[in-house]
Amino acid sequence: MRHIIQTMGTVASLEVPSEWADAVATIDRIFDATNRRFSLYRSDSELSMIADGRLSLSAASEVLLASYSRALDWRNATGDLFSPHRPDGVIDLNGIVKAEAIEQAGAQLMAAGCPVWSINVGGDILVSPTGGASGVTTATTAATTTSAVLHAGIADPHKPTELLCSLELRHPRRAIATSGSAQRGDHIWRGGSTESTQFVQVSVVTNDIVTADVLATAIVAGGQDALDDVADRWDVDVIAVDRTGALKATPGLLRSLAANGLTD
Amino acid sequence: MRTRAILGSILASASVLIVGYQAGVSVTTSDGKSLSLPVGSTTNGTTGTTTPSSAPSSGTTTEAPVVSGPSNGTYTGSSIRTRFGNVQVSVTITSGSITEVTALQLTDADGRSVQISNRAAPILRSEVLASQSAQVSNVSGATYTTQAYLTSVQSALDLAGA
Amino acid sequence: MTTHTTARPVTAQPHVSAAAADYRREFSRRARRSDLLVMALWASGAAAAALFLASGGAGQFTSLTETITSVGIIGGLIGTDFILVMLVLAARIPLIDKTIGHDRAIAVHRSLGKPALYLLLGHGALLLIGYGMATGINPIAEIGPMLALPDMPLAFIGLGLLIAVVVSSVVAVRRRFSYEGWHLIHLLSYVAVAFALPHQLSVGGVLSEGTAQRIYWIALYVLAIGAIVTFRMVEPIVSSLRHGLRVSAVTAIAPGVTTIQFSGRALRELGASGGQFFIWRFWTGRTWWHSHPLSLSAMPTNTSARITVRALGEGSEQLGTLPVGTRVSIEGPYGLFSTAARTSPKLAIIAAGIGVTPVRALLEHATFAPGDATILLRASTPEETYHWDEIRAIAAAKGAACYVMVGHRPAHTSSWMSATDVDRGVTLAAVFPDLADSDVFLCGPTPWLDLVEADVRHAGIRPHQIHAERFDW
Repeated sequence: MRHIIQTMGTVASLEVPSEWADAVATIDRIFDATNRRFSLYRSDSELSMIADGRLSLSAASEVLLASYSRALDWRNATGDLFSPHRPDGVIDLNGIVKAEAIEQAGAQLMAAGCPVWSINVGGDILVSPTGGASGVTTATTAATTTSAVLHAGIADPHKPTELLCSLELRHPRRAIATSGSAQRGDHIWRGGSTESTQFVQVSVVTNDIVTADVLATAIVAGGQDALDDVADRWDVDVIAVDRTGALKATPGLLRSLAANGLTD
Repeated sequence: MRTRAILGSILASASVLIVGYQAGVSVTTSDGKSLSLPVGSTTNGTTGTTTPSSAPSSGTTTEAPVVSGPSNGTYTGSSIRTRFGNVQVSVTITSGSITEVTALQLTDADGRSVQISNRAAPILRSEVLASQSAQVSNVSGATYTTQAYLTSVQSALDLAGA
Repeated sequence: MTTHTTARPVTAQPHVSAAAADYRREFSRRARRSDLLVMALWASGAAAAALFLASGGAGQFTSLTETITSVGIIGGLIGTDFILVMLVLAARIPLIDKTIGHDRAIAVHRSLGKPALYLLLGHGALLLIGYGMATGINPIAEIGPMLALPDMPLAFIGLGLLIAVVVSSVVAVRRRFSYEGWHLIHLLSYVAVAFALPHQLSVGGVLSEGTAQRIYWIALYVLAIGAIVTFRMVEPIVSSLRHGLRVSAVTAIAPGVTTIQFSGRALRELGASGGQFFIWRFWTGRTWWHSHPLSLSAMPTNTSARITVRALGEGSEQLGTLPVGTRVSIEGPYGLFSTAARTSPKLAIIAAGIGVTPVRALLEHATFAPGDATILLRASTPEETYHWDEIRAIAAAKGAACYVMVGHRPAHTSSWMSATDVDRGVTLAAVFPDLADSDVFLCGPTPWLDLVEADVRHAGIRPHQIHAERFDW
């Protein structure tokens, strides 16, 4: 059953079995709380209050500090390619809190025992750990629905109404995040340089949506070197599109491409 | 005294050679050639596991059935030392034969460990062509605004699936 | 005219303890150590081959190409091991000197030279052939790709240097050089060893990073080079600085024969046994270039020492004119021509010409019961009887029998004795009644000494009882 929520400046698409419709409300609350705390477009959000000095960082909520700390860890890990600090000094956590919200929502669904689900917030997708080595074998009912839930397409940055490819999201690759330079989010800072980026779009597939989101951002910011570094240091799959439309992909990603028209 | 020296030398040299040979034997059998004991094997559990004796239990090591050789699955060999450092391979067996060998660990010229199995390499559009027409329920793209959503593929999927 | 150098007054004999059993026990201990050293030498060669086996080498003989390559690798491992053993033998480690003596260590060093070179040449050739066969090209063409590997050009140069060193050490070639010239070329062996090491650690799988084999190999190098640095460089410098030797008197005692007295500090602590030698370097403009192996010709006091030199070549000639006060540096003491080598309480000593030098010190140092030691002094002419007076005095004081034999050897018979004594029917047995139970100490010019030794062997004396010091560096 598909549910659509407008939240966090974008649109979230949720797929849950029809009997789990109540869970959607819980997820909505999670997203809303995130928005109210972290949106820089709301003057009364906690992050805005810190940005204009009305609230000092030391007096901020634990939730905010936890997100900030996590963002800083990622800044260190990516060598500043991902950073919560805007050039004007404002702390902008939107690069991480969207994914954190998805992560929270997913944990909620798992704790509640929902067998099969997907959460897509503005292009960041997390699916239930259905199938795969450590997952529970899917229930026999609605087998086709299950398989469709596990398939995600990747948008083609040069042809907006078409897909670049589609792949199967299966543990340990059940989260995918895509970052683009054509549509620059405020959280991609390229160290102040104005040179055009090497990749116009990067999608990272791994098991954890925050990692996928951060690393996709970092690779767009850092180009080929960042792509190699990320592939070396993290257990992820990546597909990247450059300005000419040429593709680069990790072998693992190729293996996980969905077969043509098959619903197994 | 000279006899003692000669006999002692022969004995010492023979012992040393035997120790060396023994050390070498364990290297040969642990490099995955014999595949007698899958170390950290993960069964891919997808299509066509033809070995009846091994039930697809989640992720536990299955003993290779004696008669037909190693059961299908992916086996990870132990790390072997080379001039640059360590090499580790994983081998995928399907229908009783090796279908894929992947290097898991390799050091590059600078001596750094490289997960070369997973670097992104250029691919052709044709390699992803087939997957474009698969049934999907979600599209991952750069974050769209609410406005942009309305004209996106995702909105079409959402409408179809609601 | 001979100048009598006053011998140091000999004090009364110290009490001789349960002699025979002690000497036998000491000898067995030394023999055991010697056997262990021999075993260590061969075991190290086996260990080098075992390194290859430990890398799974036993399974690398499946094809002709693989076999050739494997044999080539083993050859390189054992050959380099031999080179490192040679370094250890030349390092003058005190343990080795006390066990087998510096002379024997150098003899073993020399005997390993050609085998080591052949093994390494085989290593190079077989690998060129083997790798060439693997890629389908001839060995000469394989040289190119091999030189393209990092560290391989250095390895080739190292091997070339090693060939030069070994060729220059072959007797026929060595004769053409002065000792110093030959020694300079020989020092290139250090360079060869250094040039070969990088490729050993970077090319090939046996000694690759992370293996125990690599650790063992590096430990061998550390041992060999550490021994050289410690015992041939650091220790002599420290010793020379500590003892501060200077020439205090230079006296001619016979035509071409000079005694040189030294002053110094704490010279007893050099630990020299009578009969041992040092390697001397005299620091004047003309002489610093030469090093001289010379025995002490008397036991040192704490502040004085003495050597006796015969001019045999350009280097030793210049020693006769050393200025008083010349600084001296020394390496040593070395040698098993001393009481440390004794296996029995009885002594039979034969010395000729300049060979009396170590014997004079040995006699002063040795302990024996009256009647247990017999000395025979040999000279071709009365001019060659230097230090005989001192030796006779010591012999008299200690109760040793001392005989003299002056005269040229017979013209037509090969004998070490003088012609007159040959005619008189003098034999070894006549001079030395307890020869079979004695340690036989021989010192003198090599051709003469060879004859004596042959005679002694002929009398049935076992090799471990015979101690010969040949003056033919």
